[in-house]
Amino acid sequence: MRKSFILAILVLLYLSCITLYNLVDDWGRLEGGWENLTIFVTESMWPPNWSVLEAQSYPVCEKDIEFFCSVGYLGMVETIKIAFVSTILGFIGALCLSSFAARNLMPMYIALPCRLILAATRSLPSLIWAILFVIVIGFGPLAGVLAMTFYTIGYLGKLQYETFEGMPSDALEVSKAMGLSHATTFTSVVIPETGNHLLSQLMFMFEYNVRHGTVIGIVGAGGIGYYINTYMKFLQYDKVLALLIIIFVVVVVIDLMSLMVRSFVTDEGDVRRPTWLKAMIKLYRSRNSSSQ
Amino acid sequence: MEPLRINWGGYMEQDTPLLVLENLSIGYNAVLASGISASIHAGEVIAVLGPSGIGKTTLVRTIAGLVEPIDGRVELLVDKRGGLGYIPQKLGLVRHASVYHNVNLGARASLPVLKGGSDERKKRVNSALSALGIEEKTTEPVRRLSGGQLRRVATARALAQRPSLLLADEFLSELDHNTVDVVIAAVKELLDAGTSIIMVEHHEENVTLLATRVWIIEGEKLYDFSIDEWKSNNSPVQVGLSPGGEEE
Repeated sequence: MRKSFILAILVLLYLSCITLYNLVDDWGRLEGGWENLTIFVTESMWPPNWSVLEAQSYPVCEKDIEFFCSVGYLGMVETIKIAFVSTILGFIGALCLSSFAARNLMPMYIALPCRLILAATRSLPSLIWAILFVIVIGFGPLAGVLAMTFYTIGYLGKLQYETFEGMPSDALEVSKAMGLSHATTFTSVVIPETGNHLLSQLMFMFEYNVRHGTVIGIVGAGGIGYYINTYMKFLQYDKVLALLIIIFVVVVVIDLMSLMVRSFVTDEGDVRRPTWLKAMIKLYRSRNSSSQ
Repeated sequence: MEPLRINWGGYMEQDTPLLVLENLSIGYNAVLASGISASIHAGEVIAVLGPSGIGKTTLVRTIAGLVEPIDGRVELLVDKRGGLGYIPQKLGLVRHASVYHNVNLGARASLPVLKGGSDERKKRVNSALSALGIEEKTTEPVRRLSGGQLRRVATARALAQRPSLLLADEFLSELDHNTVDVVIAAVKELLDAGTSIIMVEHHEENVTLLATRVWIIEGEKLYDFSIDEWKSNNSPVQVGLSPGGEEE
């Protein structure tokens, strides 16, 4: 078993190398690349310009604390709002579709069309959805919300129906034998049994949508990406770096939230639910040990 | 016709079978047993016996509609919604939900939420929990329970469902004597109410306590005995048992 696994990994690695060799025709481009990157980072990006956390000159800040009028705060909050709404709407939409797309819950003639719808929704990246909705309803957060909602449905839907198909079959079989309706089986058996995975996927999708808020903002769909795009146009990469660091911090916080939320439905939660402080210390220690 | 006994759902007549098996062949890729023809009436308790791997569980799963028969026909004449109860070997409980939630699923099978009856469901669930002695575990997640407690929950689910026919696959195995007594008392409550049971069982004393008929699967055939025939002809469940009754 172990030998065949190692062999499979080696074969895959070899195939990747061959494919990469065929894809790249000029390896000479690598020459000087590192130097270019160093110059770009040290001269243009570093140090990050934290003026993005100061109040904008216009509109005039009417709040007591300037930070709440800053580009970093306003952009990030808008991105989080877009990500939050689209994740929740997308999650609910995905649940509706995936409950009919799982082959252990529905016959193939119902599951297949649902899978096709999810595949079609997923095949357009969120950036393309954003461009489409900017064309349809114009610039702004609503285009971002709709774009991310559609992408979330496709993406989460696939993860969800694969999770449902992977759940132990005995509880489902009892439901089927007892004659429970599809709705009861789904809400009372499938969701409790897969709750941990669903929450994990939900938190991952929220984090994904926050990160992608930067991308769809670039095409005018609102959020922190709008500001990143503006700074990039004016070659203010130090401000771009500051905004990217803010996004990184938010992503780490969402990761910790995910740990907390999932502890309510995992077996680990029976033993000990970590406090925020413990979760952060654990994360800090694991990072330190991995860097050593 | 004179009604025989009161069933949970109403009057059950003596001649009305709950289940008819016609020339049934069971198995997955290969045939495990074939030519099975039998019927079950209200109030009967069938113990299915035979060595491991002979097809007892497959027979139960085929009756439950979870495995397609290779040949022949299974005709279930019970209510499609809640008429059939099922306790599989692995019990089929929702691990991440509470005891109450699991037992309530049984009640919801025969009394769907959309049809109301919320008070009746609560009554059934509480009564089932008390009968199995797990009323103190109501809010406990099932995953925290011991093996014996899990079997009590699965039996309570069937009790709250009150099916016309219950399929129970080794539901008394791995239990201490006290728990077996509690579970059997609950099963007798179901029997008093007219439920029929098909149970896969390995212990002689449990068969003697509950069964009215015995099915033995051997050599790809099913042999049907009355409990008295089985008691007089055989010492209990043994591998390679000689058929003492008529082949069906």
